[in-house]
Amino acid sequence: MIKHLTLLTTALALSVPLTAQETSQEQAFNTVITPAFTPVTWERLVNARNEPENWMMYSGTLDSQRYSLLDEIDTDNVDQLEMKWAYQIPVIDRAETVPLVVDGIMFITEAPSNLVAVDAATGREYWRYDHDLPEDLRICCGRNNRGVAILGETLFMSTLDAHLVAIDARTGNVLWDVEVAPYEAGYSKTAAPLIVKDLVVTGIAGGEFGIRGFIDAYDPATGERVWRTYTIPGPGEFGNDTWSGDSWRNGGSPTWITGSYDPELELIYWGTGNPGPDWNGDVRLGDNLYSDSVLALDADTGNLEWYFQFTPHDVHDYDAIQVPILADIEVEGETIPGMLWANRNGFFYTFNRATGEFIQGKPYATVTWASGLDPVTGRPIRVPGMAPTYEGILVSPPIVGATNWYSPGYSQDTGLFYVTSFDGVQEFFKRDEDFEEGQRYTGGGGRYTQPMDAFHSAIRAIDPNTAEIVWEFPIMPRSSAGITTTAGGLVFTGSADGYFFALDAESGEELWNVSLGARVHAAPMTFAVDGRQYVTIASGNVVYTFGLDD
Amino acid sequence: MARIPTSKWPGLLAATVLMTYAVSSSGPPVHGEDAGNLYNTEFDIRVGQRYFERQCSRCHGFDARGNDEVGAPDLTGTLSNASSDAGIFNIIREGIQGTAMLPVAADVPDATIWQLVAYINSLRYDPDSVILAGNAEAGERLFYGQADCDSCHMVNGRGGRQGPELSRVGEGQSPDELMTALVAPDAEVDPRWWTLRVTGPDGVVREGFRMGEDSFAVRIMDADNELWAFDKNEIRDYERSETSTMPSYDQRLSESQLDDLVAYLFSLRREQ
Repeated sequence: MIKHLTLLTTALALSVPLTAQETSQEQAFNTVITPAFTPVTWERLVNARNEPENWMMYSGTLDSQRYSLLDEIDTDNVDQLEMKWAYQIPVIDRAETVPLVVDGIMFITEAPSNLVAVDAATGREYWRYDHDLPEDLRICCGRNNRGVAILGETLFMSTLDAHLVAIDARTGNVLWDVEVAPYEAGYSKTAAPLIVKDLVVTGIAGGEFGIRGFIDAYDPATGERVWRTYTIPGPGEFGNDTWSGDSWRNGGSPTWITGSYDPELELIYWGTGNPGPDWNGDVRLGDNLYSDSVLALDADTGNLEWYFQFTPHDVHDYDAIQVPILADIEVEGETIPGMLWANRNGFFYTFNRATGEFIQGKPYATVTWASGLDPVTGRPIRVPGMAPTYEGILVSPPIVGATNWYSPGYSQDTGLFYVTSFDGVQEFFKRDEDFEEGQRYTGGGGRYTQPMDAFHSAIRAIDPNTAEIVWEFPIMPRSSAGITTTAGGLVFTGSADGYFFALDAESGEELWNVSLGARVHAAPMTFAVDGRQYVTIASGNVVYTFGLDD
Repeated sequence: MARIPTSKWPGLLAATVLMTYAVSSSGPPVHGEDAGNLYNTEFDIRVGQRYFERQCSRCHGFDARGNDEVGAPDLTGTLSNASSDAGIFNIIREGIQGTAMLPVAADVPDATIWQLVAYINSLRYDPDSVILAGNAEAGERLFYGQADCDSCHMVNGRGGRQGPELSRVGEGQSPDELMTALVAPDAEVDPRWWTLRVTGPDGVVREGFRMGEDSFAVRIMDADNELWAFDKNEIRDYERSETSTMPSYDQRLSESQLDDLVAYLFSLRREQ
């Protein structure tokens, strides 16, 4: 944008008298002319928080706090936000994208598996990439894509046909396109990859199709796979005996959201999804490792360093598909490297992320399937008779969970953890099903017995040192929007009733809202161009960008 | 609810299904042409249901009643995208472009899809096959007369605004459900007909139907049919009642009058 203004100034200068021309040229030379994109090194990604004008990965920074140091928009002026531009996604579907911004260029993923680069200050297009898809996709829950990763001059995108595609950030040209797993067998990909050093780390979806989950790392230059770590141990490996019979082969445990990374500990943290079939555990007796777990992997080899299973032998579809937030916490007066996790199963957990030690956990939403967590091991204390039945049984949280894949947030100013939570209840059913490759393999389902408006939902702020809820802001109905926090003292999020809004990070007080008229299924992100802060959210099929009056 | 001979429905339904089966004589249709569904025995319906629960319920719900959150329609009432067996077949086979309704996998046999069609059809019934105890014409007279339903409910542009519009109520509700709505109106109240009591920024208390409520605002219609909108952070107080404003007709009308009213309401459907 600045570049264009500068050229204009120079052109005008040619047609004006000499003295004025000199002045104009002087002004032109004083104007910083920078091209709109520079390559993204690993060092930039490690230090991403220190260039808050850019949002260079799905969760903003490797610790996934979604906390930005930008503070032009703050608690005093947020109510003056105005819309700067809107970008209409041409394919009608649900936008779950979190765009990236690098030096004034925004990269937006679209349904089903497309990518567009726009000027971050105007929303106008540079280029687009439309990924060819087969007609007979096997996807459980909509044609979604949540974002891309960037390293150097290359973007990395997951596609619904379970490919990983490398795309030139300057032109949209395809550099390579590799099959991660066969889509015909029920594999698909929706999440943004994570760059770790010189690797593209990425997960897989398909937990409703009896896949065997894994986390992969690829060479960014060639697309060659460097390592694969299965989330279900094979025969002879530790944990394989937590699956009765051959059930490990089709045990799901997908990895369909983006993980986090600690550059000092050199550990990747990644959540895993439900065991399959989802609602009938009879065919997979045992704890079903490593479903519904967090895995800590060695960045170079993918070797499992430690794990924690939130929901052993899950029969309610309580995926641990949440973005791990890495933040320091206080334990008995000492500061330790912590990990904060509000799980779909209704409990909020904290860990020592160096050792995997469970610190504590408490419910943050309505929970009826377990009465609490073992204070030493963190293992849930199950309430008997809460497994799905053929006739149906009411259980909280419902299938969508107390929260789900949508990103939580953390503020370094308040030290609070923020999560979108849902106090719902649902009737769970069990069914008998045989595995058939490429077919759904869920063993049941659920239904609501009350209208959605009868349930309670809220944005909840949790003190990670005590696991207690500090405040809540009620919303309705339930939300599947993520959360972003800023040094301006703000929590940005959205709701299913089509609002985008800002809360005071300290108190939870409502400071600003705008009705965008369509469900918000994405997380906000914030960035700056020419020193002006913007905040962006996808609602319906539109990506909106807001800023203060110029 | 002993008033309605509902126990006859499954038998009637099965008879209808068997008749259709007997009438169709050609081989199984390989495309979704309207040659009739050969896969519609009780067995096929059960197989279709199992397939539905497995493949379709994630969006359409385990009870096929749809899911507003993902935009998947209720399949137990009138279908908006198909009016024939072949139409349903084609939608399942080909999907609906530009929506989340994807086609089934190409290797799913036609027979399975026809069984699915049979199951979806089994969620409805031919209203003409339902034998009701009441008399619809007598019910209509009650509606506009003694029962005074029209003071709150509108049918085809005639009546009040203080209750649900009923011009097509017979399409979405069974006689049993209609009877329940008459004698136990609190049993199931659509959130649209909950009431809100709002103390506005002016201190005035206004009460009305909950036309809309979201995270930041409420909209009501009061007893005078006036519409009001409030920001939640500006109102002093609000209370929500999830009960119905409609009185029970259990003791107000005789059993035969209730039957008549149900027969009238059940007859209210789109002109074929």
